[in-house]
Amino acid sequence: MTLVYRAIVLFVLLLTIRCKFREKDFWKQATAALVVIPLVLRLLMIK
Amino acid sequence: MNLKGSKLTAALLLLAALGIAAFAGMNFKAMWADDVFVPEPGFEKRMLSEWFSGLAGTPADTPVYIQSGDEPGGTVLILGGTHPTEPASLVTSVLFLERAKVTKGRLIVIPQANILGFTHNSPQEAHPQSISFTTEDGGKRIFRFGSRLTNPVYEWPSPDIYIHPASGQQLPGKERGNLNRCYPGVPDGSLTEQVAYALTELIRKEKVDLAFDLHEASPEYPVVNAIVAHERSMELAAMTTMDLEAAGIAMRLEPSPKNLRGLTHREWGNYTETMPVLMETGNPVQGRLRGRTDERLALTGEDKAYVKASALGRLYIPYDGDQKMEYRVGRHTAAIMSFLDNLDMFYEEKGVLLENIPTFGELQEKGVGIFLSPLRN
Repeated sequence: MTLVYRAIVLFVLLLTIRCKFREKDFWKQATAALVVIPLVLRLLMIK
Repeated sequence: MNLKGSKLTAALLLLAALGIAAFAGMNFKAMWADDVFVPEPGFEKRMLSEWFSGLAGTPADTPVYIQSGDEPGGTVLILGGTHPTEPASLVTSVLFLERAKVTKGRLIVIPQANILGFTHNSPQEAHPQSISFTTEDGGKRIFRFGSRLTNPVYEWPSPDIYIHPASGQQLPGKERGNLNRCYPGVPDGSLTEQVAYALTELIRKEKVDLAFDLHEASPEYPVVNAIVAHERSMELAAMTTMDLEAAGIAMRLEPSPKNLRGLTHREWGNYTETMPVLMETGNPVQGRLRGRTDERLALTGEDKAYVKASALGRLYIPYDGDQKMEYRVGRHTAAIMSFLDNLDMFYEEKGVLLENIPTFGELQEKGVGIFLSPLRN
């Protein structure tokens, strides 16, 4: 189950990064950057 | 302000996010380092998985220290660290671990019952990551200040509702990570339920006669400065309460509610032959009325809001501006020693006697740190 969870987190993380690079508004890019932080920590099972 | 983004800004922001994640990650990972204890030489260190092999190799496996005296007697368990946000519980058990010389019977000390609760902090509580004490040689002893619940990295996904397996009692889903709602435990349950099962097995297999589960509670919570006793322990608890009152330490005595399930004072009594006792001291760092939350508050209990609450009659403890660690540890220590005296007096064959434990007065006078062992180099 943990592997499935981590796969979902990785999928959402990649989508977030993809959106960030397609986004033209700096502040929306910054918002996406904030979302990346907890997703990385979850992907690595740190927090 | 309307700023245009580009691939370059996206890359820079991604780098910044990864940098912050790395910094935060290292901070969180720092709480995975084990606390250092210096057991009194008579203790033998074992692991909880010896009583339930299902815990072997998991991060929930926690050290169990056992010391036997020369004279035969009973067996007593001191369980600390059920809730890592209640630090007097851990510190009292460490005090016994580092000082107790057992002269009669056998003493088992488990300082960090839910060791996975010590590996993280509760979100949005602003709790410190650690507390520290100065030892006699001027050195520092540092202990982690964790969370009430098992680390969700290992205790997930939480159900919407936690149904206590032995009774069907329903609680909020996150309570499955609360060790003191999971007894008697389940061998193939969640990791927290397995820890509860292992502790119940230890009590059963080691024929523990008297078992303490040490806690702290908010000053505004009614069950505070209290002993909660199962029917089997009530006589001993009543004697101890009277002894403590005579010594100037006011103590409530509460019967373990028969319908409140999953807690030590109920399930250890129902599922083993031990006499279970849960004890609470007053701890403002857990309270909902507190202001600035830091190590100082955890150690001193000094808080302006609690002074006001006390003046308004909203607290269940006498509060003169603080609830110092030495006072809280002193209460637990004095109560345990009084229980042991009464156990030996009323059930001589089950008696357990200890030496070298500081008195309530000595702890008030000198503080806790002086009674902890300096770290060996």
